Amino acid sequence: MRRLTLVSGCVLAGAVVAIAVVSFLWLPYPPEDTSGGRLAPPGLPHLLGTDKLGRDLFTQLMIGARIALGVGLGSVALGGLLGVAAGLVAGFATRWLDDTVAVVLDILIAFPTLLLAMLLVAVRDASLGSAILAIGLAMSAVVARLTRVLVKRVLAQDYITAARTSGTSWRRIVTEHVLPNIWPTLVVNLALQLGLAVLAEASLSYLGLGPPPPNASWGRMLQEAQATVLVAPVGAIAPGVLVVALVVGVNLIADGLRDVADPTRRRTR
Amino acid sequence: MTAYLLRRTAFLLVSLVLAGALLFLLLRLLPGDPANSLLSVGATPEQIAAARRQIGSDQPLLAQFTSWAGDMASLDLGESFVGKVPVGPEIAARLVVTVPLTLLSFLLAVLLAVPVGYVAARRADRWYGTLLGGLSQLGIAVPAFWIGMLLITVFALNLRLFPAGGFPRDDWADPADALTSLALPVATIALVMSASLIRYVRSATLDVLDSDYLRTFRALGSSFPRAMWRHGLRNAAVPVVSILGIELATTFLGAVVVESVFALPGLGSMLVKGIEEHDYPVIQGILVVSTFAVLMIGFAADLVQRLIDPRLRGGSS
Amino acid sequence: MNRKTPWLIGAVIAVALTLTGCGSGSGPESGAQGAPAGTAASGSHDPEATIEIGSLYEPQNLDNTAGGGQGVTEAFNGNVYEGLFRLTDEGKVENLLAESQEVSPDGLTYTFKLRQGVTFHSGAPLTSADVKYSIEKVTADDSQSARKSSFDVIKSIETPDDATVVVKLSDKSISFVYNLSYVWIINHAAKDLATSEDGTGPYKLGAWKRGSTLSLDRFDGYWGTKPANKGVVFHYFTEATALNNALLTNAVDIVTSEQSPDALAQFQGNDDYKITNGKSTTKLLLAFNDRVKPFNDRLVRKAVSSAIDDKKLLDSIWAGYGTLIGSMVPPSDPWYEDLTSVNPYDVNLAKQQLAQAGYPDGFSFTLDTPSYDPHPTAATFIKSELAKVGINVTINVITADEWYTKVYKNRDFTATLQEHVNDRDVVWYGNPDFYWGYDNPDVAKWVKDAERSDTVEQQTELLKKVNRQIADDAASDWLYLYPQIVVAASNLSGYPVNGLNSQFYAYGIKKS
Repeated sequence: MRRLTLVSGCVLAGAVVAIAVVSFLWLPYPPEDTSGGRLAPPGLPHLLGTDKLGRDLFTQLMIGARIALGVGLGSVALGGLLGVAAGLVAGFATRWLDDTVAVVLDILIAFPTLLLAMLLVAVRDASLGSAILAIGLAMSAVVARLTRVLVKRVLAQDYITAARTSGTSWRRIVTEHVLPNIWPTLVVNLALQLGLAVLAEASLSYLGLGPPPPNASWGRMLQEAQATVLVAPVGAIAPGVLVVALVVGVNLIADGLRDVADPTRRRTR
Repeated sequence: MTAYLLRRTAFLLVSLVLAGALLFLLLRLLPGDPANSLLSVGATPEQIAAARRQIGSDQPLLAQFTSWAGDMASLDLGESFVGKVPVGPEIAARLVVTVPLTLLSFLLAVLLAVPVGYVAARRADRWYGTLLGGLSQLGIAVPAFWIGMLLITVFALNLRLFPAGGFPRDDWADPADALTSLALPVATIALVMSASLIRYVRSATLDVLDSDYLRTFRALGSSFPRAMWRHGLRNAAVPVVSILGIELATTFLGAVVVESVFALPGLGSMLVKGIEEHDYPVIQGILVVSTFAVLMIGFAADLVQRLIDPRLRGGSS
Repeated sequence: MNRKTPWLIGAVIAVALTLTGCGSGSGPESGAQGAPAGTAASGSHDPEATIEIGSLYEPQNLDNTAGGGQGVTEAFNGNVYEGLFRLTDEGKVENLLAESQEVSPDGLTYTFKLRQGVTFHSGAPLTSADVKYSIEKVTADDSQSARKSSFDVIKSIETPDDATVVVKLSDKSISFVYNLSYVWIINHAAKDLATSEDGTGPYKLGAWKRGSTLSLDRFDGYWGTKPANKGVVFHYFTEATALNNALLTNAVDIVTSEQSPDALAQFQGNDDYKITNGKSTTKLLLAFNDRVKPFNDRLVRKAVSSAIDDKKLLDSIWAGYGTLIGSMVPPSDPWYEDLTSVNPYDVNLAKQQLAQAGYPDGFSFTLDTPSYDPHPTAATFIKSELAKVGINVTINVITADEWYTKVYKNRDFTATLQEHVNDRDVVWYGNPDFYWGYDNPDVAKWVKDAERSDTVEQQTELLKKVNRQIADDAASDWLYLYPQIVVAASNLSGYPVNGLNSQFYAYGIKKS
């Protein structure tokens, strides 16, 4: 059962990753080729039909996979780095600093990713970089809070107290005791965050605040297809299915990893 | 309990002040002089200066902040640059849509999630338990706006059962009318939200089902429903309540996207417009109000959690 | 959501690009009496019906001299406020609150007699003081009116008695009366004009629910013909899709202006709806910076114009709607001529001209592209077209705000895309300081002389010369003219179909 979770997650997410990788090597049509004619129905030569500008839908979907994964992984990298760093600092800091960080984090977390992202887009204008920055920053608060809690938990252990009193350096405590203890939980959480980041990117793009055209983004494809949903329903369904596949895949991987990382979880909680 | 209440209130106040400062700074980073929105093309330098004076963007940052904080404290949210009307009443008018939307969605989501999550956990070994768990897995992966799009297509454009968007002109004068307008948006939010709630309820229930004390009670001869009722539910509710607080806050602000799908004149659409027009007072006002709401919800959730959690209660008194 | 931005800039551009229109009182005489829709199904209509109008253009506020934007013009012009003159949907200027006018032989003094028995919604009678106040409100220092600079020629406004207004000009201005049709006459004692009104029109403001609806109620004390309906409600949407869905589900009766052809398929061939294709003045421009290399060379501009297949672009964006134009002048302006053959689509010609200009292997440039539709699509298309003649385009997507600062104010660009919404705006090519920097002394002189003309014929002749010259110089590349599409439920009649300068007269709309 647990294996099944992990495997099906890998299959779903892997399929999307494969599409994104293939898109760099081969595309059915050039991305800007509008020769297909307006809203051609699915079939041949256009597998899923064309959009309103005559671009091949399948090609656009493949490029969309790049954007979704790019923004997802980019923001996880950014959010993970910032969050873990901030969490470590807060975890080790004096009580006063720690409390301040905790309050700030609570406020930041009170703002959902999307709203923070919208604000940042207002500051920086819509672009691929803005989307990554915005989602990554919003995510870093969540990661930081988790890291802080985990660090505190480890530091409260008796052997750490022993190590600290015996004069072990901070650096060694972090690298030898703290990080090895907290990373499994962090990885699982970051995987979940990846799914949320993909959703956030889709929502931003839907609102017109994501990576600007001509980048194909699933969220914007859905927004555009909305106008022609009665005439060409495929365009309003296919990008959504891919978003769901990717996010479900990533979440299943996270669940599977959690069981691997902490097989006793259900018993101990 | 009193000590806890005091500490928690102090925390709330500090949070409000800090949040205010953060918002103020963030908004001042917006590019472009807001005075631009008051000017026509070919404005002379004198006109630009006059516009900046009128808005106050020629003042030093600290002076702007002090006067801003004073206004906020006296509940004066300022006047919209673009609309030339006070922001406060405008926000109040929008809350007529956003608050019911949030609460109804929340209620529906909880009503859906609690029984479903419970069954999914209790019958995890049966096929339908697995199916419910799987569906919730699917549910948290679906973008809300997509569900909205699909609901509009099916229930508004094809079946003509509900309006595709908009809100009655006379608000709640005809409650049936207003509720019909909110039906699809509420369903959209509730579906997405219940998916994640189901997962929390399910895992909280699983934890309780696995717990030693429940097993002990049953070994002592208590019937399962009785043991569950007296001890299980309460313990399962503790983590769920804290999640509920976060979820309610998320719904409130997450209404931004759904409001735009359904063309609802709520706080979300006002914010999007404000951002596009660089209308500082509008953005500020909404963020101040929603931050306040979010922090208050967190405050309330913490209190409730403390009231129902026997361990936490015991610890403080 | 992103549909919102276009009209943010739409408003900016409307502000920006509205020059002194150069017409006299006579618009396009050929403007064949409006729409077929306008004449159908009278007789059986319901005079107590309320018309639900769907629009994308919510007013920012209700004061058109304080940045109310295009939305307030749509809702209020002619409906709530009236001018001394009215610009009809066919483009003619006719007397409204002015009963008569007299022009001195030197063309510098205009004497207007006001219609008697006109009252404001507040009950106050219309007097010459209100007219003076209203014109001065437009020309005031803090006015953000798009028409402000048109009235620079006004030297003085006098009010010898309650019914007479005398305006003295410093120079002849053949468009003066036309321009006056845009000046709303407002009660000089009115307050809070950003949120309320006091006009003389057939409707008074009912309620404005921001972000949602604005309603107008029939004004019982109206001096003229009563409206054909009890009132109208403007429903505002930020997205074309939501707007069309509202029409499909009967939440609104009419859509003032379709902004994309996507939804039209749902209304075509459906007896419940009527689609009208009216006259449009909105042009999509590939505007070169004529000051800088390589576009300071006329041949390069011509080559680029010839290398782009405008027809294919129009088809892919508007699916068969819209018109090709060869210059800045739309067919509804009196000085229109078909100039599409001046720079025809001809890739070989383009290559030849490039070689002649010294760029046999093409060149590279950056195209500043506003982030909202249709600009990114058009930019993508232009990029692939120009690649065929060796020109490499880098697309730089910018916001409306950035466009205004970077391109319009600082002229820091090589080429840009922009929609220009106004009628009679060819005269901008007479201003060498305008953002595109087209500097031809002949054209500047013709534009100036045209405004000082004595007759419409003289004016038309001069502006036609301007028109031909800018086309020959390929001052910009005029890609196409947008269509102006109104979709209405078929039980509606009497609505305006041309929507000139975004006005929308509602008083004739009948519902049966």
